Amino acid sequence: MAGGYKYFEAIEKHAGKLGILTAIMVSIGGLAEITPLFVEAHAITATEGVKPYDPLRLAGKDIYVREGCYLCHTQMIRSLRAETQRYGHYSVSSESVYDRPHQWGSKRTGPDLARVGGKYSDEWQRLHLMDPRAVVAASNMPGYPWLANEQIDSDDIVARMRVLERLGDPYTAADFAAAPAALEGKTAMDALVAYLQGLGVPAAATEPVPTETAP
Amino acid sequence: MNSFWSMWVMFLVLLNAGITAFLFWWAPRVRIPVQEDGTTGHVWAHGVLREGMHRLPRWWIIASAAMYLFGIGYLLLYPGFGAHKGLLGWSAHGEHDLATAVNDANLAETMARFKGLPPAQLAADPEALRIGERLFVDNCAACHERSARGNPLLGAPNLVDADWTWGGDDASIATSILDGRQGVMPPLGEAIGAAKVADVANYVLSLSGAPHDAAKAAAGAPEFAVCAACHGQQGEGNPLLGAPKLADSIWTWGGGLEAIEKRINEGTHGVMPAWKSRLDENDVRVIIAWLRSQAPNHLARL
Repeated sequence: MAGGYKYFEAIEKHAGKLGILTAIMVSIGGLAEITPLFVEAHAITATEGVKPYDPLRLAGKDIYVREGCYLCHTQMIRSLRAETQRYGHYSVSSESVYDRPHQWGSKRTGPDLARVGGKYSDEWQRLHLMDPRAVVAASNMPGYPWLANEQIDSDDIVARMRVLERLGDPYTAADFAAAPAALEGKTAMDALVAYLQGLGVPAAATEPVPTETAP
Repeated sequence: MNSFWSMWVMFLVLLNAGITAFLFWWAPRVRIPVQEDGTTGHVWAHGVLREGMHRLPRWWIIASAAMYLFGIGYLLLYPGFGAHKGLLGWSAHGEHDLATAVNDANLAETMARFKGLPPAQLAADPEALRIGERLFVDNCAACHERSARGNPLLGAPNLVDADWTWGGDDASIATSILDGRQGVMPPLGEAIGAAKVADVANYVLSLSGAPHDAAKAAAGAPEFAVCAACHGQQGEGNPLLGAPKLADSIWTWGGGLEAIEKRINEGTHGVMPAWKSRLDENDVRVIIAWLRSQAPNHLARL
């Protein structure tokens, strides 16, 4: 063992070898922490009541992403008492299986929206999006009045449903047949309100069963 | 976590711990040849940089060993070593459930004092009023405003005046809160006839003595029969249907000729959501107590 210096020498005197062996040691942490969760995340299935977005809510979800709502609102109720008391049951991963991309977020300027569906009336949501201060005097959220003037293009939404079907969302032929009628005459405002009113609703009807490993 | 990934994590943890333990044991035993100039003979940059000889400081070795032992202790006590749950049985969800139970117990203790007491009595209890206001702000203020004075844009009624659309006794208010209400008025513009909407609206204004066109009001009087089915012959309202009183100066959806015409033409659909999933009967009585305590202030200001 006293002659072990030659092994140190072999590594320390060759920058390439030192770099590769350092990378291997550092990556052990990543392999242990990231790989199992990454693989298991792809195996998560929807809980009962969690269904692919209907056409109007799908359109609304894309508007939510387009307008950057996630920059101020999370959709992730953490398992902390203060959060579950205010927002309801903590979020579970099986509720987000049809969210591409998921809207969990980590930045809250406004409240969490994971279970906002049904908390206010449709009319409240519409007024609030037109001018937040019409209903909440102290709100600092910007208004989104242009959504009321923007028509939803049903061909566009059906094309998006086709893509999601390819990615594995279980849309049926009947869903595609019904989509144009469901989107007829709808505005971006209608779509976004429908999306918001659906957030967390299936989960509230049947208490979500946490299926993933406790973090 | 299935058994394969559990084994995977355990293997990597043990590999890492094993390599580290081996280095702890082996490295201090390695003899490093020292040259006459006191360096190891390891040079860079054509001899400009030379590697000297220094023992690792003792504090560094102790700190490293402490962290190593901490890691082992942590993985024994807490989840992390594959499927091993940890000797303490700690989990994030368990911690949440415990914190919730502790908080619920505290709340139950505070709220127990208010059990079964009528709102009129609670309205004299500052602690009940403080909690009632907090519950109101958290749950009701989004539509009824922080001051409880309502929002005509939503048809959310003022809750601190003397006028109650669905009945102002404690039981009716509790039902409104727990079960919600749907205030629906159908659009009647077509039934009345576009030309006569303004006449009816003027008649409605005349019921409360508001400024109106007397000739139009007289013309609208017979058409008001359609409205009277819900709002009553004299516009006195009907709390059973949630039909607001028209013969006063309180307007749920905004007053004035234009607003009234709009409601006749478009109807209304006011929605009070049901709150029983968030509030219990005890909370509701405390909220009603706070509303009762606010009403005299408001009425005095009018």
